[in-house]
Amino acid sequence: MTANLVNVLLGGVFHAAILFLVAAGLQVVFGVQRIFNLACGSFYALGAYTGVSAVGFFTSHGGPPALFIVPLVLGGLAVGLVGIVVERGLLRFVYDRDETFQLLLTFALVLMLEDLIRMTWGTAPVSTGGLYLSYGQARILGATVPVYNLIVIAASLAIALGIGWLLTRTAFGRIIRASADNRDMAEALGVDMRRVYVRVFTLGTMLGTLGGALVIPATAAMSEMGIELIVEAFAVVVIGGLGSMRGAFVGALVVGVLRSVAISVYPELEMLLIYLIVIAVLLWRPRGLFGAAAA
Amino acid sequence: MATTRREFLKVAGGAAVGIAAGPAVARAQAPKGVPADPVKIGILAIRAGIAAPVGAAGLRGTEWWADRVNRAGGILGRKVELVVEEESTPKDTVERYRKLILQDKVEAVIGGISTGVTLALGPVAEEMDTPWLSWDGTTQKGVEETMPKPKWAFKSVDNEVEAIVAGLLTPKYFKGIKTVAGIGNDYSYGHDCWETYQAVLKRYIPDVKFVLELFPKLGVTDFTSHIAAIQQSKADLLMCSFWSGDATIIMKQAAAVGLFKTMKGVFTTAGGVHDSLKKEFTPEGLLLGYNTMYFDDPRGSALLKQFVREYKAKYNEYPPYECDHAYFCAESYKAALEKAYAAGGKWPSKAEVVKALEGIEVDSLSGRRSWREDHIQMCNFYQGLTTHKNSYDFVTINPIEVVSTKTAMKPAGSKLLEWINGWKI
Repeated sequence: MTANLVNVLLGGVFHAAILFLVAAGLQVVFGVQRIFNLACGSFYALGAYTGVSAVGFFTSHGGPPALFIVPLVLGGLAVGLVGIVVERGLLRFVYDRDETFQLLLTFALVLMLEDLIRMTWGTAPVSTGGLYLSYGQARILGATVPVYNLIVIAASLAIALGIGWLLTRTAFGRIIRASADNRDMAEALGVDMRRVYVRVFTLGTMLGTLGGALVIPATAAMSEMGIELIVEAFAVVVIGGLGSMRGAFVGALVVGVLRSVAISVYPELEMLLIYLIVIAVLLWRPRGLFGAAAA
Repeated sequence: MATTRREFLKVAGGAAVGIAAGPAVARAQAPKGVPADPVKIGILAIRAGIAAPVGAAGLRGTEWWADRVNRAGGILGRKVELVVEEESTPKDTVERYRKLILQDKVEAVIGGISTGVTLALGPVAEEMDTPWLSWDGTTQKGVEETMPKPKWAFKSVDNEVEAIVAGLLTPKYFKGIKTVAGIGNDYSYGHDCWETYQAVLKRYIPDVKFVLELFPKLGVTDFTSHIAAIQQSKADLLMCSFWSGDATIIMKQAAAVGLFKTMKGVFTTAGGVHDSLKKEFTPEGLLLGYNTMYFDDPRGSALLKQFVREYKAKYNEYPPYECDHAYFCAESYKAALEKAYAAGGKWPSKAEVVKALEGIEVDSLSGRRSWREDHIQMCNFYQGLTTHKNSYDFVTINPIEVVSTKTAMKPAGSKLLEWINGWKI
């Protein structure tokens, strides 16, 4: 009984860990740039594919398999730099346009990145083979849990704390929060918005690509994996509140664990239950659990 | 003097005719009544999304067939020319299908994988008066046939045959099964396979209990929670009808918690991604289905062995079954043209080809395959227990069970569940 409970809960928390990274990327970009980045799911897919390639390169050049997580994380972070190109090359032209244009642009990005992935890695799913199992299993209260899942959960938690620290304890974090609060005032006080936007967007992109890279040993990369996740990320953001980091954290946990419990108890309810919560939040707290109060 | 566009086209056209005439002249014993221009065949292949690898395999099989036929002088001396279009949504694919016939003037259309698409293509094929041979798509709504007496449409084997074969083999290989859990994709194929598998198994093990059914959406990449639910169900056996990357993923995530140490497993269709089922995470002793072609069949024909060898050399992969569906459709079309020509002495009309196709039997990659009189493919299905004893880094099967659609597919005109429940066991 406890073993089952542990399996179900940890399954949910593992899912939440990945969901949090993608949703956090979505939130940080929306918070500062007021752009709802549909492409955050594509960055996740891009990170996953890059992760597979980085690990493949590492092991084929004699890297010890046990250290595969190093190229995985580096690959995931490095491909996040594509955020600079996207921000400077595309997004900066639409900051003053209607939200519809911004949504259309990021949706175009989703389609382009999907094609780019297909051209680069082909249409067949790619994976890192059995490396996932190389860290073995842990016994927790009678349940068998893959150690790699625990690493991902720990990494996601560490990143959440890191972002918290960045936002509250560093000068850059204060600038981000000030810009999120009042873009014009921050600019009037001498903040170079151009630089803030590039950095924030790259940070958001990296969270997504890192999420994709971290998840990939446990699964396989498919070109449409991002679209699958973005729908859940929406639910996370609505539950947690748009633009809020704490919201992303709590929202991801709610969605991940509820999904897992639903699958165990009454699988037909899996998606329905999540959207019932979304509707409830929209009715009682339209701005989400941690959303800013209405001005 | 500047060359006008019209003049240029004339010259270019003349050159093209010259090129086309070359082989026609060389072909001194061209059969009488056969046009000299190439025979155009339209191909529909999925290019994007989850089924893209399946579409690619079908296309590769077709191209290999066309190369082989053209090297041997074509069909009745006419070169084969493939016009490839994409299979995507039902609406767009129907439009491309019409374009192939009306604009490209193809003599037949081959291809179609998703039953969602081919269900829409069927009636269109009937009204366009052109033969259509489907690789892997049916005109089934659920498990019931919607076009029992088609004229132009030739359809794949019934969707649920591999579930039936697995249902027949389960009691043979796994003794004492009392409880079964099932997981499949949340669309018609997944649900139909599960329903059919249950119906078959109940005939052999009347007191079997089905304790859990999970239908994740197509494209889900994290089954950790599903596996937790499967563990919790404490079923003796898991039946899974995944056929794409999700089969690989669930296998890996199941291995990570040791699921198959205590549970038997039946993967009806995972042979579609067979070379991704690495030994590291795929245990021995699972029942694994390869649909209609098993690449490593020691009793396979010389044709199969040559195909596998050349496919590996060209794509660095081992071919999945879709190649065989595609090869069979193309090869049977060729055989029908030749048969109708032999009867009529001239290049046959489309209607004559369709008549000739009915009941025709040819050598495909997997062996002899044929078209039943009601335009459904007849073939063998390959399933067996996974083994690590091979030279690959992925599992193969041993023993290999070969089950014909003569035993595992409902006869023309019958209702699936009535047919299963009427078996004498």
